[in-house]
Amino acid sequence: MRNPAVWVVVPAFNEAATLPFVLGRIRLNGCRAVCVDDGSSDATAAVARSSGCDLVIHPFNLGQGAAIQTGIEYALDRGADYVCTLDADGQHDPDDLPRLLHALAAHNADFALGSRFLGTAVDMPAGRRALLSAATRFTRLTTGLPVTDTHNGIRAMTRRGAARIALRQNRMAHASEMLMLIRRSGLPMVEVPVTVTYTAYSLNKGQSSSSALRVLAELAAGLLRS
Amino acid sequence: MIAQLVLTLLLGGMLAYAFVAARRTRLLGAAIALASLAGIFFVWSPQSANDLAHDVGIGRGADLVLYLWVVLSMLVALNLHLRLKTQAELTTRLARALALRDSRKEDDEPDRGELSS
Repeated sequence: MRNPAVWVVVPAFNEAATLPFVLGRIRLNGCRAVCVDDGSSDATAAVARSSGCDLVIHPFNLGQGAAIQTGIEYALDRGADYVCTLDADGQHDPDDLPRLLHALAAHNADFALGSRFLGTAVDMPAGRRALLSAATRFTRLTTGLPVTDTHNGIRAMTRRGAARIALRQNRMAHASEMLMLIRRSGLPMVEVPVTVTYTAYSLNKGQSSSSALRVLAELAAGLLRS
Repeated sequence: MIAQLVLTLLLGGMLAYAFVAARRTRLLGAAIALASLAGIFFVWSPQSANDLAHDVGIGRGADLVLYLWVVLSMLVALNLHLRLKTQAELTTRLARALALRDSRKEDDEPDRGELSS
């Protein structure tokens, strides 16, 4: 019996500094990686190429949600049995991937979502913790999913689950949209403790507290369009 | 009378726009249509505007119509925003298709290094 093909989607926008570490660790965990360069102006594409991972280049910057969707479609096209996603800024630990994949099998689930609140959040600022707690409560209300974390980019899904994901939110609201799509799919999900490490770099690259309002506005506009 | 005709013409145009908007977003189209019809009614029945304005705590009927116009303008702006979002979605699909096609092309090409050696 062949080993299942595990693909990890790494959306990257100007992440040349952290990509080698992230892609190297993904490979060490026995997974294939596809880096989606989202219109970077630095050496992201060159770094990804030299690391030996697959590379898809957006002609211009579309946003993280768009990059993840591109990566999922790429992985499915390549026959992925499982598709994982994680951020390129190094805040996720690729060593958590086997645990996410194991949870899919152990719980017969189609989605395994990383939770920093079940696991560890290293050096998380208090403001970010409060914001995420509020966002998690909002997500529980709007999706009905009993999640303990939201807007956490490390997750794993089966091929069946990944095929049900069609993100329309290009930017940060994609994380909430992903949960709505999971809910709508009716497929089983499980949360898995993961480690998220905050660094000055990841905090600078990540979402600001004010972006929460933008996410809400994007979700409202998305609902009106659908 | 001239002002009433001009306003009716403008609001009638808005009503026509509501039908176009409804094809994209039914809820928004209905809101614009409702506001336009209310506007036309108040233009031709200013006393009703006055009465309703008093009922909801606004001083004059003219102010009520003005507020209505502001709301209408905001709805139109929202509709344009949604239209832009739709355009952005189409652009995303196109960009994604190009990116995926290029990645496939790269796979199909023989290794340039091997050819040149």
